[in-house]
Amino acid sequence: MNLPSETRTGLPAAGPGSAARTRSRAGRRRRRAGDRWFRWALLLPALVVLLVLTVWPVANLVRMAVSTIEFGREGAEFTFTPLRNLSRLAGDELFLTNLWTTALFVVVSVAIEMALGFLLALMVAGVPRAKGLVRTMMILPVLVPPVAIGSMWKLMYNYDFGILNQALGLIGLGPIGWLSEPSLALWSVVLVDVWHWTPFVFLILFAGVEGLPREVIEAARVDGATTAQIVRKIIVPLMAPAIAVAFIFRSILAFKVFDQIYLLTSGGPGTSTEVVSLRLYHVFFGQNELGYGALLSLVIIAAIVAFLVTTRGLVGRFAR
Amino acid sequence: MTIRSFRQAFAAGLALAALVGAPALAEEAFLDVGKQEPITILINSSPWYLGFESVVDLYTEQTGNEVKIDATPYGGVLEKARNAVRTSQSPYDILNLDSGWTIEFYQSDVLRPLGEIVDGYEMPKEVFTCGGSYFWNAEKHFRTAEGGKLMAVPPNCNTHVLVYRKDLMEKPPATWDEVLSSCQKVQDKPKLYGFATRGERGNGIHYDFMPFLLSYGGSIVKDPEAGDYTVTINSPEALQALEQFIKIEHGCAPDNVAAMGQGDVIQLMSAGSAAMVETVIAAWPNYVDPTRSAVVDTVAAAPMPEGPSGRGVAIGNWHFAIPRNIPDERAKAAMAFIQWFLTEQAQTAYAEGGGIPVRADVLEKLSSQPKFAWMAAYKTNLEAGKQPLGFAEGAAVEQVIGLRLNQALVGEMSPAAALNTAAKEIEGIFKQSGRNTGMLDPLSE
Amino acid sequence: MIPLRGRELWIGYAFLAAGVLSIVLPFLWIVMTSFKYEIAILQGRFTFAPTLFNYQDVLFGRRSNFIVNIGNSLFVAAFSTIAVLIVGSLAAYSLSRLSWSRWIARGFLGWTMLFNTIPTLTVVGPWYLMSQEVGLYDTLTALILTHIAINLPMTVWLMMTFFGDIPMELEEAARVDGAGRWEAFVKVVLPLAIPGLIAAGIIAFVFSWNEFTVALNLTSRGTATVPVGIANFAQQYEVQNGQMAAASVLSTIPAMILMIFGQRFVVQGLTMGAVK
Repeated sequence: MNLPSETRTGLPAAGPGSAARTRSRAGRRRRRAGDRWFRWALLLPALVVLLVLTVWPVANLVRMAVSTIEFGREGAEFTFTPLRNLSRLAGDELFLTNLWTTALFVVVSVAIEMALGFLLALMVAGVPRAKGLVRTMMILPVLVPPVAIGSMWKLMYNYDFGILNQALGLIGLGPIGWLSEPSLALWSVVLVDVWHWTPFVFLILFAGVEGLPREVIEAARVDGATTAQIVRKIIVPLMAPAIAVAFIFRSILAFKVFDQIYLLTSGGPGTSTEVVSLRLYHVFFGQNELGYGALLSLVIIAAIVAFLVTTRGLVGRFAR
Repeated sequence: MTIRSFRQAFAAGLALAALVGAPALAEEAFLDVGKQEPITILINSSPWYLGFESVVDLYTEQTGNEVKIDATPYGGVLEKARNAVRTSQSPYDILNLDSGWTIEFYQSDVLRPLGEIVDGYEMPKEVFTCGGSYFWNAEKHFRTAEGGKLMAVPPNCNTHVLVYRKDLMEKPPATWDEVLSSCQKVQDKPKLYGFATRGERGNGIHYDFMPFLLSYGGSIVKDPEAGDYTVTINSPEALQALEQFIKIEHGCAPDNVAAMGQGDVIQLMSAGSAAMVETVIAAWPNYVDPTRSAVVDTVAAAPMPEGPSGRGVAIGNWHFAIPRNIPDERAKAAMAFIQWFLTEQAQTAYAEGGGIPVRADVLEKLSSQPKFAWMAAYKTNLEAGKQPLGFAEGAAVEQVIGLRLNQALVGEMSPAAALNTAAKEIEGIFKQSGRNTGMLDPLSE
Repeated sequence: MIPLRGRELWIGYAFLAAGVLSIVLPFLWIVMTSFKYEIAILQGRFTFAPTLFNYQDVLFGRRSNFIVNIGNSLFVAAFSTIAVLIVGSLAAYSLSRLSWSRWIARGFLGWTMLFNTIPTLTVVGPWYLMSQEVGLYDTLTALILTHIAINLPMTVWLMMTFFGDIPMELEEAARVDGAGRWEAFVKVVLPLAIPGLIAAGIIAFVFSWNEFTVALNLTSRGTATVPVGIANFAQQYEVQNGQMAAASVLSTIPAMILMIFGQRFVVQGLTMGAVK
């Protein structure tokens, strides 16, 4: 079998240069001189976009994180006060709670979305009919702006008039405070997220499934492999790169979730649904504390990176 | 003459009359402002927005001056206003700022005092000063008419109002104790709730608790205007107010009150499921719009109930301000519009279009009409109106109180513990900004 | 793909039906809401006299500018998607197929990933100032450029995985037959990456279509996009649910049509003249 090299190592084969490594050495030597300008020419547009549009905002973010910023008639005034922001972070217990809530939200919603998205992708690829229809239907939720999704689900969750409690009432069950029970609110929010974002995972994985080499699977079928075996031994390893990318970007987005929660609960009741981005919004925007807000966003970035690195390590160990 | 040709002649006559009449009308502007540069106004979308848009159209019609409006979602207004004053030239000539945001803008000196644009300009005396938030005293760092410069004018002097159902209650309750007894008597849960306010964490519960706090003689800070930032939110009066608040909410509001925002409260009343609610007057247009309300004919407004210390009302008003970073000509044009907007006739037209007028004489004149009956309650409440967060740390303090009150309402904390915690945190905020602060002895928990 | 058979096929259909139903039912509920008067929505009525009031208000109401919003959104989403697909695919191909030193490739990919993790709220301020300085404030160009930057990381990473699936031998064979590097890329690799291009394109389109924070800050009435227009129905004091539902339904229609045509365009454009 001629599998791409990265699939043997388990997860994130989206990693750099993985495909390049498979090139034959002789071929590489022969074309090296010509390759040089060609590869730069292809990368150049992306480099320009990144240089022009991302470098200054990121540098500015770091600068803000170590400063106190005040605005006057002359514009922004930066005072270098790294310790002030840091000491505030050290005493910020609420932010720890926020991080925990966020982690819970990310792990649960991403896990459900990945599982459902993967199953849906397999099923759609496996049935002979209705592929196009299903894919079109699946795009619907992602086309509705998050602000509208938040408002619409808030109506459905409404305690007195919402469709969910009305339906429960029909079968004789009492009204449920979907968004007002502190222990339930986070899961209600997760449900909306799953509805909204499972299609995203599906779209990526479905493209991955469609790209699988048909012959390999058919050969395994002929050899008498069961469906479960095919999925575990062939499809999952082959799709590892697509699964990894869907997981990485879905996790990042889940860490940054804002609009829906803002509209559904504003972080309440109490602090039960206050995720880090909501807190960031309050600090950066409500309290206009740009310096501390910037520091918090650096912490959020670090948390995301730590989360991804940890998962990669866990998956690596598990796969070995 | 056939009927048809008669009709045609009649239509032609009307058209002629309109042609002749139009220029004549245009000359009778409410205020002669002359030819001005085009201006752009940044404003939030709201129930009273349509009223504002209709007077802007009227202004253009009367004066020929062009006015562009950028209607923006509520939260976006602050973002856009900040952006506007932080750049080399503001795209907006008039910024509509919420009360809590103004201090930041006043303090950083990015707005033009109105008296610098039109020499010695003062608001007409009939216009409400809404607790003084339109004036900035730079020495005291406080919003007050005493020694303060006029920085903005009101498009809306928003206050609380008690909204109730005439068909369910003979007369509105005059005190909080009466609210408690009458709401329990009238309610029929879950079909009809006796009373509701916002309980949602943050600005929602904070703002809706203020009428309780103020009417029980409580306060957040001792005397900020004089520089005394001793925190008083954990006073016995505040505790009494909070206990009354919780008693009423638990007794008469829906079980999910701790998650209810302004939209939910309005929904309860509009859908006919509440006998009384406490909302802002700016929401009034909703209750009387038949496409949005089932209580158009039975809804009424009353002054806020009183506590041991009389009536307490918090103002959450809006401000029309002019940024510094625009050319003089545009600032003059903005000022021309503002002066026109505050005339008695313009304010009357504003009310007719669905706005909330800001002149006492207009409220008095119109409140005798049945459809403007709510204006009497609004005016009474305005007279007791206060700006409870008139200092720079207002937003941070509001977050603290808004969280702790919510926890007390949910039962995560006892009322006394919530107030003690809030007081300690607020003291911390004041310390950090170098205020002369302290706090009362903690309440026994 | 495994063709399901027998009992598995029925389980597959049942699962798909359940999936599609739970995706579609809430959306149908939104559609139903869009035909109700606000008071029927607020009271949660099931029986109601349908009305086009919300649609009229959204399309022709005084405060609404929705047709312009949709035009702006289509323009911004279409152009930024095309641009990000081109820029992203070129970069992805370069990084996955041409011999880069590991550090440059890692640096590039790491930076895109890092940028993707930054909360948009904190970069929108600098973008606002930049657009003001170069005179692009309140133009659709500024919005297109920022959307390219926002979607570039995901596009590059996605396209790298799809290019990684394509056997190297096909390309080498084309080279042996005398095709240039560019020709081998366009005629051999790209046609094989169509499913990936479509997925990446749909995702970039959807993100641009829904992007709110940047659009809010860089536009005003004339240049506002659909999410900003829709957010106007979420007012300070209450949400105009009927109008918001109607606007959501209206906005999905052109987006759907454009995406379907876009897919055809990609498929036809790339399979023409492909060396198979």
